[in-house]
Amino acid sequence: MWSRTRLVLCMLLAVSVILGLTGGLVLGQAFPRNETLYTGGKQWGPVSNWNPFMAGNQAMGTIGLCYETLFLYDPLTDQFIPWLAESGKWLSSTVYELKVRQGVKWSDGQPLTAADVKFTFDLGKTAALNITSLWDWLDNIVQVGDYYLEFHFKQALYQEWANNLYNIAIVPQHIWASRNATTVSTGANENPIGSGPYLFFAVDQVKMVWVRNDNWWAKTALGKSVAPKYIVDLVNTSNENSLGLVLQGQEDLNNNYLPGISTLLLGGYALHTYFPGAPYHLAANTAWLDINLQKKPMGDVNFRKALAYAINVADIVSRDYGNMVQAANATGLLPTWDKYVDQAVINSLGTSYDPVKAKQTLTAAGYKDVNGDGFVEAPDGSKIALKIIVPNGWSDWMAAIQIISSNAQAVGINVQPNYPDFNGYLDARLNGTFDLAIDNQQQISNTPWSYYHFIFYDKLADIPSTQGGNYGRYNNPTAFALVSQLDKVPTSDLAGMKAVISQIQTIQLTDLPIIPLWYNGMWAQMSTAYWTGWPSSADGDAHYLPVTWNGYWNMTSILMLCNLTAK
Amino acid sequence: MSKYFRRKLFIYVLTFFLAVTIDWLIPRFMPGNPIQVLIARANLKAESAKVVYSYYMRAFGLDVPIWNQYANFWNALFHGDFGTSLWLFPQPVIKIILRAVPYDILLLLPAILLSWFAGNKFGAFAARSKWLDNTVSPLGYVLTATPYMWLGMLLAWTFGIVLRVLPFSGAYSYALMPTLSWIFIWSLLEHWILPFVSLFMVMFGGWAIGMRNMIIYELEADYSHYLETLGAPRRLIRRYAFRNALLPQITGLALQLGVIVAGALVTEIVFSYPGIGYLILQAIQNHDYFLLQGCFLFVIIGVLLANLAIDVTYVLVDPRTRTGMQGER
Amino acid sequence: MTQQKKRREFAYFALRNNKLRIGVAIVFLFMVLALVGPWLTHYKPREFVAPGAQHPSSQFWMGTTSLGEDVFTQFVYGLRATFIVGLLGGGLGTLIGILIGFVAGYRGGMVDELLNMFTNIVLVIPSLVVLLIIAAYLEVRGFLFESLFIGFFAWPWAARAIRAQTFSLRSREFVDLARLSGMKPLRTIVTEIAPNMMSYLLLVFILQFGGAILTAATLDFIGLGPTNAVSLGLMMNNAVIWGALILGMWWWFIPPGLAITAIVGALYVTNVGLDEVFNPKLREM
Repeated sequence: MWSRTRLVLCMLLAVSVILGLTGGLVLGQAFPRNETLYTGGKQWGPVSNWNPFMAGNQAMGTIGLCYETLFLYDPLTDQFIPWLAESGKWLSSTVYELKVRQGVKWSDGQPLTAADVKFTFDLGKTAALNITSLWDWLDNIVQVGDYYLEFHFKQALYQEWANNLYNIAIVPQHIWASRNATTVSTGANENPIGSGPYLFFAVDQVKMVWVRNDNWWAKTALGKSVAPKYIVDLVNTSNENSLGLVLQGQEDLNNNYLPGISTLLLGGYALHTYFPGAPYHLAANTAWLDINLQKKPMGDVNFRKALAYAINVADIVSRDYGNMVQAANATGLLPTWDKYVDQAVINSLGTSYDPVKAKQTLTAAGYKDVNGDGFVEAPDGSKIALKIIVPNGWSDWMAAIQIISSNAQAVGINVQPNYPDFNGYLDARLNGTFDLAIDNQQQISNTPWSYYHFIFYDKLADIPSTQGGNYGRYNNPTAFALVSQLDKVPTSDLAGMKAVISQIQTIQLTDLPIIPLWYNGMWAQMSTAYWTGWPSSADGDAHYLPVTWNGYWNMTSILMLCNLTAK
Repeated sequence: MSKYFRRKLFIYVLTFFLAVTIDWLIPRFMPGNPIQVLIARANLKAESAKVVYSYYMRAFGLDVPIWNQYANFWNALFHGDFGTSLWLFPQPVIKIILRAVPYDILLLLPAILLSWFAGNKFGAFAARSKWLDNTVSPLGYVLTATPYMWLGMLLAWTFGIVLRVLPFSGAYSYALMPTLSWIFIWSLLEHWILPFVSLFMVMFGGWAIGMRNMIIYELEADYSHYLETLGAPRRLIRRYAFRNALLPQITGLALQLGVIVAGALVTEIVFSYPGIGYLILQAIQNHDYFLLQGCFLFVIIGVLLANLAIDVTYVLVDPRTRTGMQGER
Repeated sequence: MTQQKKRREFAYFALRNNKLRIGVAIVFLFMVLALVGPWLTHYKPREFVAPGAQHPSSQFWMGTTSLGEDVFTQFVYGLRATFIVGLLGGGLGTLIGILIGFVAGYRGGMVDELLNMFTNIVLVIPSLVVLLIIAAYLEVRGFLFESLFIGFFAWPWAARAIRAQTFSLRSREFVDLARLSGMKPLRTIVTEIAPNMMSYLLLVFILQFGGAILTAATLDFIGLGPTNAVSLGLMMNNAVIWGALILGMWWWFIPPGLAITAIVGALYVTNVGLDEVFNPKLREM
């Protein structure tokens, strides 16, 4: 029945059919390697939309490569670089003047004008967008002529406004005006028309391809042009896969945390990092310990202090991360915010690893081991058994909480590591059912206000739906008021900012609502096999952020592309 | 015969109904809120997140009573609407799945069919002599006992990393877009080899062992001995034995489908092969229960169709079912 | 007397059967390792004991993971988990299979129809996918959970096979005799049918055992196995997550897979060996 000859015949037939069908095919074309930049690290699933208002899951480069912002912000020098805007300044305490750059064109040839800028901000009034809340304190926008705008505020929140200036991408009115609110806020926006240096080229399940826009405005206006003709952004299918692509030189720029890469940086591979030695990467955000203050014994500040003394962050940095991260400052402020750190406050109130002091603090506060199991009991005699959680599969964090747990156990606090899946982790934090958790949700920005706004988020009842931060439910109206006050300090008033921040830091270090641990890096593995001119810390090299994540193109990463040269 | 099919069909319809219900039920009664995950990933400003949250709850129809959600689910299903993916918002689930299905067919169909044919041939061959049995059978046992992912890892490591002769991730080169061209087809083929081979080999082991054992049973059956005493040539007896042994192997194929699907899933994960298995893993990791439901339904439909095809084959091959014997005994 | 003679005959062939000897020896070897292994090491499985990525050495017999955990320690603890899940999951699968198979085969008629339909339904639903969905939504999972899941979905083929065997035994004279003498169905099954199928049930259990180990490994590999535990599948999962393949850390991912293959392969070989022992017709081969 299934005789061998018949099988062979069938296969021959199949082969000849395929040959016949494909006989007339031309030889396909791959992207020319010396004109193509392969990136990876942003996209964790196939590209699903190009909507600049859908922060989070839009395609890599939607804001930055395609849509652009009014300014760029350089966190390394704390400078705003005019981009779609020519200039901007406060005319009075509540009026902001914005001059829109002339000669900027959308990729379909239409000019970009002040009307587009006004239209973009106005969209927040009708659709549920990230800028919707802006209208709580923005009153109206007055357009004068084609390139001049005035923003009139009910109340000026200077810090937040500066943040918006480099984060809100401007969209073309002539395309978006006909869309309804739902399409604006959640539409896929296929074939995006932007003003940036790249145009949509192609997409499939594992990558997204941008092609250079040769009519980009910055060529004539700033004399800048981007080097790669194609940018192929690869989806991270797994860490394993990313590591392989980096080591084999297939990916030119990778922004994943790749476990084990610290040893590889030293030997053999054509890999480049921002710093030639440890910590190799710039700091992107602070990882801290969320402490649930609603639960006993975490509500006791002495217990939190003891915990802070118990944790050996240096061990996490060296063993878990292979020195690819730095231990955090006691305030948790990123290195780019160093100037805001009040060293006097740290000197008098700061905590660092000191197990002896941890034990002393526990004893002094009445925590002792009553039942002889090696772990302390609370002063009221109740047992202490805490869980520290991170999402399952986040391997570096999983290792970190193992170290933290054993640190805590060493001073007599019973802490066990636990790895719920991401959903469970999120749920526990949002609903305040966790004991201890690692958190790093606040990224680098132009102002420490964003960090403090997160840690001291004041609308405690709204946390499950707003995810605004403060998962430990720290409740201190004085602190909340100070954070609001900070928002109202003009960005030019450094002394004023420092004064408020110093007060916040005093409260933070006295009450210890969170324990800052280490700075997660802007993981960037750059390959020098096909492209050179990468950013680095060396004198004479470009000091840009080498990162493709959301919100980083507009923090100078776009300038990196102008600086690259093909080998 | 039509009664036999009617009964089978009834079971399949019932299975489908149950599967859809389970499919709908499970994620809905589990803890956690998928919208929160969506918001978490969007990294919105707190003040705006609140507005967006209530918007999404409405958009995903999660703000109506449970029974109503169930009815809506069936209704949408009959309209080919599997909902919207959370992970790849705002793409429709059906679109995501249809993009993955060709890769599954490309991988699974040849692997299942070829391993079945080759395994049966080889098993029958092994049963021929003690010497062959002692060399071939152990190989079969080792293969069938190998976890799919481990063989995949070994192959990826050996050919992809140590020898560097074959690519070990993706369905085609990252430097290509899908086009009908030689270079693309070649790339497709190159990336297909390792996952195919690892699936093929594990399944092959199972079929070979199964066939070998069946033939031995058949050769020791009364009719074989009877034929032998009648002086029939060994070739003839073997052919009868083979044909009789083939029937349970067809049923075996139906029994094994579930395991094969599981094997394909982990193989796709090891090789980052963009089929449904890979989607399922991503859906789980991203708590995209709409996508997970869609994938599950597609797998169910696929398995049911395959079962139906196997039933038809069985009837065509086995004369007994043709003359009205119902079910299998 | 005949029973005893038969038993002695089995023992004689069992000791002489090479397949059985090899299979049992391998399974036994790993079982011993799983039992005494934890005493051979002075580390804990998730403890960081050394610099990461160490090659196998006299101190770390199977090297260390990227984090500096001892692979050998994880391996022996993982073996334990493998056997526990295999025994529990396989046992449960066999038990449900026996229950449904016996009842369906002995009762026949409507009961058989219904049970058969139920079996067919569970059979068609790809169990792993259901397991995936359930496991994905359970926050904390243990070995017991995993075993239960596996058992609850592994029984259909066993039930089918046992049903068929019971069916043919039911019409034998000694069962008829028991029935005529007014024996209750349950008693008939327990005293008359089950003993005659003991050898067959053992074979079913061995196959379920092996199957449960493979399923558990698959679940663990996807990261849906027990949380906060060590198993062979989880070791492979970790090896992949931490890039052991690319980094050439073969000592991390080869042992767990090899052990699973060896154990399951040995179980299958044992199964065939036992079959030959129980089935006189097959012994000549």
